[in-house]
Amino acid sequence: MKDNKIQIYRDRTKILLGLFISLLFIALTRFFYLQIIEGNDLRELREQNINTFEYIYPKRGRILSSDNVVLAEDRKIFSLAVDLEQKPSEEALILLTKLFPKRLDLDELRNKVSESLRYRKSQIILEKIEQADLAKILVRSREIRGFSIIEGYEREYNSHPSIFHVLGHMGYINEPDISYFTPKIENFNPKLWQKVGKSGIERVYEEKLQGNHGKRFFQRNARGDRRVTTNLAPFQEGDELEISINFSAQKLAFELMQERKGSVVVIDLEDFSIPVAISTPSISANDLKDISTAQYQDLLNDPSRPLFNRAFMGLYPPASTIKPLLTVLALSNKYTDWDETILDDGFFTFEEEQRVFNAWREGGHGITDLKKALVESSNPFFMNLSIRYEKEEFVNFLRSSSFGSKLCEDCYPHQFSPLIDDSWKFKNFGKELFKGDFINLGVGQGYMLTTPLHLSLIAGILAKKGTYQLPHIVKKNETILKLNKDLSEEDWSKVHNALVDVIYSPNGTGYRINAGELNLAGKSGTAQVVDISSREEYDEVRKNPLLRDHAVFIGFAPYDNPRYSIAVIVENGESGGRTAGPIAKKVIEELLDGF
Amino acid sequence: MVFNLRNFIIIFSLIIIILTGALTIYSVTSIDINYFIRFLLISIFVILLVAILFNQLNLNRILSFGWLAFLLNILLVLSVEIFGAEINGSKRWLDFGFLSLQPSEFMKITFALFAIQYLRFYNYKFTQLRTLFLILVLFISAIPIIIQPDLGTGLVYIMLGLMFLFICGMNKNYFIAMGVFGILLSPIIYSFGLTTYQKGRIISWFSSDQNLSEKWNILQSEISIGSGGLFGEGFLNSKQNEFNFLPEADTDFIFSIYAEQFGFIGVFIIFLMLGCFIFFTTLFTMTEKRLTSDLSPYYIGTYCTLVIGFSFLLNILMVSGLIPVVGLPLPFFTKGGSSLLCFSIMIGLIFSSRGFLK
Repeated sequence: MKDNKIQIYRDRTKILLGLFISLLFIALTRFFYLQIIEGNDLRELREQNINTFEYIYPKRGRILSSDNVVLAEDRKIFSLAVDLEQKPSEEALILLTKLFPKRLDLDELRNKVSESLRYRKSQIILEKIEQADLAKILVRSREIRGFSIIEGYEREYNSHPSIFHVLGHMGYINEPDISYFTPKIENFNPKLWQKVGKSGIERVYEEKLQGNHGKRFFQRNARGDRRVTTNLAPFQEGDELEISINFSAQKLAFELMQERKGSVVVIDLEDFSIPVAISTPSISANDLKDISTAQYQDLLNDPSRPLFNRAFMGLYPPASTIKPLLTVLALSNKYTDWDETILDDGFFTFEEEQRVFNAWREGGHGITDLKKALVESSNPFFMNLSIRYEKEEFVNFLRSSSFGSKLCEDCYPHQFSPLIDDSWKFKNFGKELFKGDFINLGVGQGYMLTTPLHLSLIAGILAKKGTYQLPHIVKKNETILKLNKDLSEEDWSKVHNALVDVIYSPNGTGYRINAGELNLAGKSGTAQVVDISSREEYDEVRKNPLLRDHAVFIGFAPYDNPRYSIAVIVENGESGGRTAGPIAKKVIEELLDGF
Repeated sequence: MVFNLRNFIIIFSLIIIILTGALTIYSVTSIDINYFIRFLLISIFVILLVAILFNQLNLNRILSFGWLAFLLNILLVLSVEIFGAEINGSKRWLDFGFLSLQPSEFMKITFALFAIQYLRFYNYKFTQLRTLFLILVLFISAIPIIIQPDLGTGLVYIMLGLMFLFICGMNKNYFIAMGVFGILLSPIIYSFGLTTYQKGRIISWFSSDQNLSEKWNILQSEISIGSGGLFGEGFLNSKQNEFNFLPEADTDFIFSIYAEQFGFIGVFIIFLMLGCFIFFTTLFTMTEKRLTSDLSPYYIGTYCTLVIGFSFLLNILMVSGLIPVVGLPLPFFTKGGSSLLCFSIMIGLIFSSRGFLK
């Protein structure tokens, strides 16, 4: 009996001891697995838990005009976020909703706070807090615990609408932006670039303006408290950018356009920078910041197209303003000379096709030579000239005056004036160019389309007697370009004289500009919006303001030593001399007075 | 006390365990040297006190108070309901100012004392009536612990109690019956007998959602253990502790911090020491040549040894993610007066048991 009990005791102790030893062995295996096999991975996890970093967002560079007006700058803004280090009290939440009754809802706030704490991810409670409101919070910081104030930046633009198109605007990054910037910017990280320039200077100089993100490495504990800042990769603020736009002239040009649609582009002929480039109508860049999708759609659908940059994108028939440029071709290739005269009786008959082209002045200009044709803008003279143009020569000449190529590297978005050649016509109409086409092209109508920027450059080419550079807003393009045709000094001054007479001779189409002492040279034009064959029809068409002709003016000043070239387009403004010319005069005056 | 190799191994391994525990507690609790000293002093003092006391007194006299100790303990557990401090939704502690005690910790000793007194009276003859009586007493006395609510301690208490009856020679058919019964009853207990907190712990064990806090604790514990690697990060270098990634680092999960500091080598040494201590103590008691007809001291000694061993095991299986999280203290590591006191008393009992000392 006694032995039996001892035996049971021993047996059972052995069983338990065996169980213990085998469990201990299992535990040892488990620790071996965790520490030796998984050890490195788990340590890696631990380091990830502890060591983390946050990006320091740099301040975006300012944009200044050439007359030192701040056009865009980053303004410090504050937002309120849930602080993961301490749970806000119910009283704090109630107090906050009392402080901002319009912006906060107690239930929503409670949700945000509890979500933030649950997922350990801080949520923003209030965005863009004004200084006064910030003070309200700071004063009560003792009661409002559990929230932290986050500093950030917001782009603030000069609110004048004249500057919007050149500057462009910022927006949240999307797929097209990523593919646009990736090849352009080294170390481009779409996750960091939350907002990017969508157009204008903001887009072209994104990399310069953006600066470099810094990194703040720190260790944190389980609750997310920051413990030790271990390292700092310093951030670099974006570079300041000075652009060639002269803000006072820009503003004036915009105001002179009043309610009309159109564009003014001025090129400084000293360095071919662009001091004025406006497009009307326009908006303030600030208006796009917090815009709703519906409002944005409204802007896009607005028939006056305020978001469309006419200066660099708008394509207009140059009309008579192309005549001085074509004169260079005609004289150089000896299609005509200063002595040839024709009888301008108000229309031109193209005998090959038996077509009659009406000119703008009823009854015509009478006996007309080249100079008179330029000063009084005789279409029949230039139409007559047109049928002498050789296709190849014509196209090559236009190419050398930058038709069909990019004009400006830092104008964005940008459209070039199409080069009208056989391939162009074939692509668009399935036919080659034929003689009759040149009659329209020769007076800047038909297929011929130019951007205001290009027109201004054409004025510059004429002013600089065929030698020019491509215009720019920030970065100068050093390449010197030349027309492929040249004129003798005498011919050039005759061309210039004719353009002076446009403004100063009583017969000149620009006489009413009253340019006075400005020493303006120029050429006006009236671009047909619809093709009209009879004068009666013309009067009918005029009743609809949207079908009225566009007024075009190009010019440069002072004519003896040209400094600025200008192009003005007033959509449906009818007479180039009367509508567009005076704007050109005042803008150039403003620019010259500035010095 | 005879100093031979076996005794030396037992004493040596015990000293290593207690010292390591004290050092680990010191490294976890904001590096407070007072804590380290207090921890060490309490354990040594209590061990010696109990060992000497029990050795000097007549065992009969001590065991005759077993039922009283047991009853008193149950009353203390119940009083926690009234005076206790609430932590994590459960009341377990009695605050005595200098020491806060968790009376339920002591139930595993007092039940054994009670049972041995009872069985000794009947010369360890298990009749059906006595067996059922003891099982009933065990289960009923577990109720106050479970409703505290502390399911973990309660279940462990029952299991250790059964282990004691097993050692004492209870018919094995009862264990088989209870096992089958327990499995059949578990769904009902889960549905009606558990609080949300307890259910949460169980659900999290089966869930793969890493965001659940229970799961997160286990993950952090595993990270802590794994980070130790082979050699460990070195004493006082636990980052998981420094950055508070491990909750309850000073109680249930203290071994993870130990593993991070001393690596697999440290873990192996502790396991070795524990294995040696348990193995030699049990073996020594068991193979005692002068086993008398009164096996009471051996039962008590073996029981206490195995309680320490299995408590240790359950805790390390829990922190390494092999079993669900049940709040189990790690003997001589966990910061907490009651568990230190309880395990010190047990060591004292082991030393005082006749088989060991003579």
